[in-house]
Amino acid sequence: MSASENVLQCENVSRWFGGIHALKGVSVSVAQGQIYGLVGPNGSGKTTLVNCITGFYPPQEGRILFEGRQINGMKPYRIAAGGIARTFQNVALFRGMSVLDNILMGRHNFMHPNPLASLFYPWWARREEIQHREKVEEVIDLLQLESVRDEHVDVIPLGLQKRVELARALSAEPRMLVLDEPMAGMNQEEKEYMVRFILDAQESLGLTVLIIEHHMDVITAICDRTLVLNDGMALAEGPPKEAIADPAVVAAYIGRTGDAA
Amino acid sequence: MFYRQSGVYHTRYAADRALWPIPADRWQVLALAALALAAPLLVSSLYLGSYLMPWMIWTAAALSLSLLMGLAGQLHFGFAAVMAMGAYTSVHLVRAGVPFELALLGAGLFAAVIGTVFGAAALRVKGLYLVMATLAMQYLVDWVIVNVPAISGGAQATLRTPQVRFLGLPIQDLTSRYYLALGWTLLVTLFFLNVKRTSFGRALIAIRDKDFAAAVIGVDPFRYKLLAFMTSSFLGGVTGAVLAFCYYRAVTPEQFSFNVSIQLVAMVLVGGLGSAVGGYLGAGFVLIVPIVLTNLIATLGASQWIDISQNMMAHLPLIFYGAMIIGFLLWEPLGLAKIYDNTRKYFLVWPFRHSRS
Repeated sequence: MSASENVLQCENVSRWFGGIHALKGVSVSVAQGQIYGLVGPNGSGKTTLVNCITGFYPPQEGRILFEGRQINGMKPYRIAAGGIARTFQNVALFRGMSVLDNILMGRHNFMHPNPLASLFYPWWARREEIQHREKVEEVIDLLQLESVRDEHVDVIPLGLQKRVELARALSAEPRMLVLDEPMAGMNQEEKEYMVRFILDAQESLGLTVLIIEHHMDVITAICDRTLVLNDGMALAEGPPKEAIADPAVVAAYIGRTGDAA
Repeated sequence: MFYRQSGVYHTRYAADRALWPIPADRWQVLALAALALAAPLLVSSLYLGSYLMPWMIWTAAALSLSLLMGLAGQLHFGFAAVMAMGAYTSVHLVRAGVPFELALLGAGLFAAVIGTVFGAAALRVKGLYLVMATLAMQYLVDWVIVNVPAISGGAQATLRTPQVRFLGLPIQDLTSRYYLALGWTLLVTLFFLNVKRTSFGRALIAIRDKDFAAAVIGVDPFRYKLLAFMTSSFLGGVTGAVLAFCYYRAVTPEQFSFNVSIQLVAMVLVGGLGSAVGGYLGAGFVLIVPIVLTNLIATLGASQWIDISQNMMAHLPLIFYGAMIIGFLLWEPLGLAKIYDNTRKYFLVWPFRHSRS
């Protein structure tokens, strides 16, 4: 596969924090329209890799290319403007705002925030606000959030909060969506809903998705390819069922047969 | 305020995002505005000049600071210095022959520029360190004002504000000064409410609540913190000028000392961070408390209940501000605005017990 077909390309990405070597030369290639799974035991470097991609901290070694453009070392807000949106493992919603305002935040890159525009609201800001409200309502419709639209985000259940976070990311019209454990702490029903929403969004918006998840049933059900990380290194890569069945992966998760004694 | 929501359905987004989406609420706000406009006819000049007008001006100041502290979440303990810059700039501009309208604008711009320069330096630090940096600004500005005779006219000097006209009307008698103060406060209030419903305000709140989440959605945190400093300092500067021309009618360095900064922080915290209603309640409460306290203690002193020195009397309000800030932070961090909101919601669903959110 040539580099031009790959939306996201990580080449030998390494990152360490003091003495902890969190990522050791990991390479990932995600093709346009794929749902790419990232799995591995706790502390294996999944979130570190995602943080490198979204610009929280630059990798010390290696390159990250998004649509052929080098993005490692760019500030998070620049990467966001470039078309990558993400959600967080621990819900990171703006707790002082309503659900609607949280999702409207996703439109930030398309709006022109400015104190003077706020002052002259009827003449300057109203049209833009309403135009983007219409866009946001499409996302609310897609993710079925109508009933909680006007609620404060901290009074709705966790499952819905995660969905609001997804809605916020989607309303930024990204070309690539990075989901960090979107189903952590959910029950079976909420999980099934979430999978449906991710698939719907991916299909209707033509997204490329990079997803970290611990639920293997989800990974095998929706991912096109999967990378298994352990201890900062790539253990196996390929279609999810094959990658997970790899003996090295089984060993990392459950331990070697010999260890049991 | 108090109303019933039943029967109010919005069919357009513009109506849904109106400042007061419920008709009953709109009428109540209009009634309050009418009362404020009619105040010179309704109350004696003593009340107008020494209660209502300062309340309005300090509300504008509290709202200016609340934009920075409440919406953007950046602490500022030197806001009196910002107002001082506005007050002195306006007086000197008017003395140099600049029309009053432009002098007000100039006061805001000067305060905004200096405030932003300090902000840019201060924003490299967070939390307590930001408090220290803004405190440094307070003392620096105080020092410059006192020690540069060209600004203050000498260490103990009082600069009287010149006669001015606003849009052709003389700002001389109490009524005209009250209307100017009221107009500015209403404008600041409208601006504050509009900021909260537009993308600018959302970006500020996003930075306050979760700066890293704001960054991954495309907000440049530094840029917006700086914009918040700039906007808030502009409003503070103009408010300082309005305070000088309408209320004090003179400027001295003590009017904008460190105590005043603390008083402003108390107004914002007691009233409720990031709330427009809170600005009014906080400013009113903080202004009325020392008066009530002084009267109470004077009465007690006169009836031989307690013995208290003049010196102690002067410091009692400050002690009380401190106690109030601690009390509110402990028990009601969202201040009087939240207490008002809870009461309102209780009556909205009365006789039932539970209200949503």
